[in-house]
Amino acid sequence: MKRGLAVSAALAMLATAACSSNSGSTSEDGGSGDTAKTIHLALGQDVDTLLPMDSSVGDNIGVLDVVFDGLVRYDAKTGKPYNYVAQSIQTKDNLVWTIKIKDGLTFSNGEPVDAASFARSWNYSAYGPNAMANNYYFKRIKGYDAMQGETDDDGNVTVKPKAKSLSGLKVIDPQTLQVTLTAPFAGFSIMLGYTGFYPAAKACIADIKACTKKPIGNGPFVIDNWNQGTELTASKRKDYKLSETPNYDKIDWKEYAGSSSWPDFQAGDLDLGAPPPEQWQQANSDPDLSSRKVTKETADLTYLGFPLYKKGPWDSIDFRKAISMAIDRQKVINAVIPGQSVPATSWVAPNIPGGKAGTCQWCTFNPTAAKAALAKAGGWPAGQTLNIYLGKDDTSEAYFKAIGDQITLNLGIKYKLIPSEDFFAERSARKFDGAFRNNWFPDYPLNENFLAEVYASGDPKNGNTNFGYYDAAFEKAIKAGDDAPDIDTAITKYAQAEQVLAKDFPTIPLDYSNSVTFYSDRVDNVAINPFSGATELRLLKYVG
Amino acid sequence: MVSYVIRRVLLGLFTVLLVLLLLHLLTTLAIQLNGNPALAFFGDHVPTASQLHAVEVRYGLGDSCYQQPGNPCLGPFWHRLSEYAHGDFGTDLEGRPLTDLLAQALPNTLRLFVIVTITWLIIGMLLGSVAARFRGRPIDHSIRLTSVLIDAFPVFVMLVVYRFIFTVPLTTWARRTFGSDSIPALLFKPSYSEEHPWLTLIIPGLLLGLTGCAPFLRLVRAAQLENYNAEHVRTARSKGLSNAHVTAYHIVRNSSVPVVTAVGFVFADALSGAVITEGVMNIRGMGNLLWQSVQKSDVSVVVGIVTILSVVTIGVMLLVDLAYAALDPRIRLD
Repeated sequence: MKRGLAVSAALAMLATAACSSNSGSTSEDGGSGDTAKTIHLALGQDVDTLLPMDSSVGDNIGVLDVVFDGLVRYDAKTGKPYNYVAQSIQTKDNLVWTIKIKDGLTFSNGEPVDAASFARSWNYSAYGPNAMANNYYFKRIKGYDAMQGETDDDGNVTVKPKAKSLSGLKVIDPQTLQVTLTAPFAGFSIMLGYTGFYPAAKACIADIKACTKKPIGNGPFVIDNWNQGTELTASKRKDYKLSETPNYDKIDWKEYAGSSSWPDFQAGDLDLGAPPPEQWQQANSDPDLSSRKVTKETADLTYLGFPLYKKGPWDSIDFRKAISMAIDRQKVINAVIPGQSVPATSWVAPNIPGGKAGTCQWCTFNPTAAKAALAKAGGWPAGQTLNIYLGKDDTSEAYFKAIGDQITLNLGIKYKLIPSEDFFAERSARKFDGAFRNNWFPDYPLNENFLAEVYASGDPKNGNTNFGYYDAAFEKAIKAGDDAPDIDTAITKYAQAEQVLAKDFPTIPLDYSNSVTFYSDRVDNVAINPFSGATELRLLKYVG
Repeated sequence: MVSYVIRRVLLGLFTVLLVLLLLHLLTTLAIQLNGNPALAFFGDHVPTASQLHAVEVRYGLGDSCYQQPGNPCLGPFWHRLSEYAHGDFGTDLEGRPLTDLLAQALPNTLRLFVIVTITWLIIGMLLGSVAARFRGRPIDHSIRLTSVLIDAFPVFVMLVVYRFIFTVPLTTWARRTFGSDSIPALLFKPSYSEEHPWLTLIIPGLLLGLTGCAPFLRLVRAAQLENYNAEHVRTARSKGLSNAHVTAYHIVRNSSVPVVTAVGFVFADALSGAVITEGVMNIRGMGNLLWQSVQKSDVSVVVGIVTILSVVTIGVMLLVDLAYAALDPRIRLD
């Protein structure tokens, strides 16, 4: 009897679900040409915040790109910045910057977008105890250190932060913000388009928790609802005053774990998609699917590092050259991640201002020269194995296995992969006694970020943390770039620092990953940002 | 009976406490040995000590015992217990209360379970009974062969094959034939959809239920066969009772005790199956939440969910034991 009840109750529920679904979806769904033009996108389920100060992964940056406007935005083709919310950004000495903000702009809640709104957001990020993901972006601004506490080796707080705001930020008048840096930096204005530099409304800081879920933006779209873990919806703002706004009215992000959205894209439920590795070949050989595909090389660099802080073969440049020339990068890519990467021949991505392909002269495959270089370095100690350290990740394990196979094949050096969950901690603690995987994705589109952030330390004795690299000429070139009178000169100076790297050869560039996007027949004008690898949502066109 | 239930509940509480302690020790050890989850927050950037500490505090790992391998960190454990006792189940790393997360995830998992249970009952009981009734005939052989075939396919293989090979052509076909909002089109949708919670769960639930029903089916058959040849059944038949009456009251009921035991075990199995099903079919349920939290090292969510799952499992086991007494008057629970 009870069983019967349960079954009939379940059936009744099924029936109601079916009925309500039929009546509910006709007005909402944009897929079948309704009045509201809706695009349907996938979002990673691991996105857990939409607070600009705390957003640093590709997915939430992508959402916030249509919810917020930065002081500058980046050109979709060249990656070069141009003023957007900023009327002008001026400096005489690269140290004190005056930012004029356009008049009359508002947040979606009506608050004005003014100098104070930027200062508010930056101070919140820079305050150490808030533990925001974008905290470190503000270290160049004066007063940053006073906002960080100090801790001893056991992690106990010894000194509490002395200030709650950056002394280098000054609101001159409602539309003018003056920023003083700790040292001259010619590239400061380029950083200002990044998510971490978006403004914050008063109401957002007053209730951070609510703002994490439903940010108050100044961009063309406003978040309607975020049912975290399942769905995020946004609609176009009617009172948006600036020019860059797309032709559709709504965006519907459905959340997925990993890259599992592909069948939904194939079934036509999503407008943009990328196949998981195991479906890669099939998707690319399908003529219909591949006719709607865009590929673009991004600035995401994978490279091999060495413990230069240790004695042994590592500090011999000929040994590093040998390893580099022994790797057939294209072959490795074709075998493990076909079409998803291009061989790297530089330390700075070629599509970033200041980047140029071919700066690395020993990055081309040449097994004969590799053997000669190894002989010059004194050979590899007989019977020893080359350890290759990396994080735990299936794809990169397969990739580095192929790299190791190349080294064994062309130099006769046996290798061992050591994947570890603890990779980052071990790298910072300098515990490696072999080659190790590194990856760099720039924080802003400027060659300086590939160089200073990764290799500079100002510490001639120990070198930088990860590799133990130091070269006075490198540090000098970076400094010259920071002090340069204008950004073009700065870029040239920074490029000289890359030349120093090319001479010292501390690390081996391996590849730059490609961003590949397939799109549905409902959308057009699909452009990929060369810097982030994300689809430019503001340029995307809904064609029905 | 009442004292039995009280004893079992107390024992259950003790078990939950042990589960909590074990989980706490394991997660603590994982953090101590495996490195600091807070470091992953910085990726390729090298944080300063104070930046790292701020993130540790945010992640609830501020206590220095997390940096000392072997330290059981009983302080934070005690703190968590006392919070649980006050009904505060904590928050995730973003400060969302665990109760909110559960309110979102639990209904989906329950829906999945309803479908799974119905699948067991219909397929397991029905096919098992048919196989027992027609023992040795071709239909019996084919049912048994089917159950072996089902066993041969692990649930994740079935789900992955279904999702990546069958859903796309099926949905495309159903949409063309019946329209994009028709029931068949929604039924074969590649992922769970919030707007159609029941329809899009039927097939994942069916597949998960199918894998559980194979052992269930064989058990039903074996238990019923025993009764078909039992003396009380022969007596009932000789009294002239109808075949249907004998099957329903003398065979099915008497063979239910082992079957109910199996329900308890299969339920626990289905819990682990739910993690896989929810993962593959993109269903926001308890399994999915657990999976995400493990990946993010969100300790308080992991501990919270596993505690709730163990409470549920212990509850089901208790219900199973109580059902014995109801099914078989010879069993006394004292």
